[in-house]
Amino acid sequence: MSAEQVSGVKPAIFQVAKAVEKVAGSREASRLRRWMETYLLSGWRGRLTGTILPVLVLATWASASALHWVKPIFLPSPWSVVQTFREMLFEEGLLTDFRVSAVIVIEGFLIGAVFGLLAGVGAGLSKTVERLLGPLLNSIRQVPPLAWLPLIVLWVGIGPLAKGVMIGKAVFFPVFLNTLQGIRGVSKDFVEVARIFEYNQILLLRKVVIPAALPSIFVGLRYGAGLAWAVVIAAEMLGGKLGLGYLLVRSQELLLTQQLFVIIVIIGGVGFAVDVVLRRVEGNLLRWKKGFEG
Amino acid sequence: MSNTSIVGLEIQGLTKTFNTNKLAVTALDNVDLRIQKGQFVSIVGASGCGKTTLLRIIAGLEGEFTGNIDLEGDPVKGPSAEKGVVFQEHRLLPWLTIEENVGFGLVYRPSEERKSLVDRYLRLVGLAQFAKAYPNQLSGGMAQRAAIARSLVNRPKILLLDEPLGALDAMTRMYMQNELEKIWLEEQTTMVMVTHDVEEAIYLSDVVVLMSCRPGRVKQTIPITLPRPRRRDHPEFVAIKQALLDEFHLQAKEYFNYEI
Repeated sequence: MSAEQVSGVKPAIFQVAKAVEKVAGSREASRLRRWMETYLLSGWRGRLTGTILPVLVLATWASASALHWVKPIFLPSPWSVVQTFREMLFEEGLLTDFRVSAVIVIEGFLIGAVFGLLAGVGAGLSKTVERLLGPLLNSIRQVPPLAWLPLIVLWVGIGPLAKGVMIGKAVFFPVFLNTLQGIRGVSKDFVEVARIFEYNQILLLRKVVIPAALPSIFVGLRYGAGLAWAVVIAAEMLGGKLGLGYLLVRSQELLLTQQLFVIIVIIGGVGFAVDVVLRRVEGNLLRWKKGFEG
Repeated sequence: MSNTSIVGLEIQGLTKTFNTNKLAVTALDNVDLRIQKGQFVSIVGASGCGKTTLLRIIAGLEGEFTGNIDLEGDPVKGPSAEKGVVFQEHRLLPWLTIEENVGFGLVYRPSEERKSLVDRYLRLVGLAQFAKAYPNQLSGGMAQRAAIARSLVNRPKILLLDEPLGALDAMTRMYMQNELEKIWLEEQTTMVMVTHDVEEAIYLSDVVVLMSCRPGRVKQTIPITLPRPRRRDHPEFVAIKQALLDEFHLQAKEYFNYEI
């Protein structure tokens, strides 16, 4: 980044801080300035690298449709997609479908994650629990989430419950396996230190085992969150009359390519946003862990 | 300090055998040791002598032995906070700050008491300004000082040190030996240190215990009466060091002959 661009942002931050100082006092002002410097200035410069490729893709897309390289029915222009998005949002109740998908994902994810954590901690702390759960869970795991759909639909119908169960199943395994592995990887050295200070089992779990396993647990949670979102779309495509996945199938059947694009962008965007949030939470919890940063 | 003559640690007929793959290895054979309260005792010997095993048994981290170990009159059963341990690696928890690490053994105490104890021991080891740092931000010597503070904060009856300075460079090591002596003089805790550095043992100890190998036995106990602070070039210091090293080499020769 060149010097002018940086110096263009810095005085602006300074101006804002000055204005805040007038209204709220100098402590708030300096806190705001520090916040803006770290999150806007350094973050902005760093993030720029990540926007290069998306911008390139967008530019190619725009020129391809503007220069009529491809028929609009296969590749609508970015602008028409934005317009379709507005129509869908304000006239066709896109938010309702979005909410339906989002609620199921959150519910399914929470159920899967909670059970995955509990089973993972249980199996991690006790070999007996691991031997007890191992064979059954390992066989269930081999059957992909979507393969359960016919059976689940037969049992509980095609409603939100079926999708919730499928998502829960999909989230459970990465969380369970990573929690188990994380706990098994906790160094005996630390456990010995806790024994010397006469920690009981609960304290040992809270102060040593869980913090040590947390990096691994987060890998499972992030992977599970990605799966949950993917599974809900797939499940909605296969059945039901609501949700983003259903909209996707409908737009394909009605050849509404613009809508197809809108939904695909939304699916990608939401998945990306969820991962960003989880990564930020992870970064906050695992501040102590400084690995290779490239 | 040693003239108080109260028994701190008493070990009688301690034997420990490890069973691995049908092969029984006697790590310690009939070890007797008596350490007075407040003494600094070093255990030296070649590697694989059972020094660390002996220390771990005293700490209560190793079970299934025969013989008696009494700490100030009470038999040792399992690990406890009254037997502080400093390991060769600092074993600070990387997700806790130095302050939280030092207070790790005080979870059962009220928070004001915890805070004042942590502050006091951070000052004792000279880490007060690093209270909020994380272990990976500290040098090896600083991390080991934090580990020492962590095990002293409970006011243990005995502090067991397993080659605590083994991973440090020569200069830091000498500096840490002075620090350790300072802490010991101030706290008057009974300390037992395992080391393979003969000079370090003589520099710090009231008594040096020399162990022989395979099986581990107490070969000799050598009281060191040189006044403190000791000079490493004092003729008597040099003489004791030479005698101990000679023993070492003798042992090494036996060991290699046996192997060939």
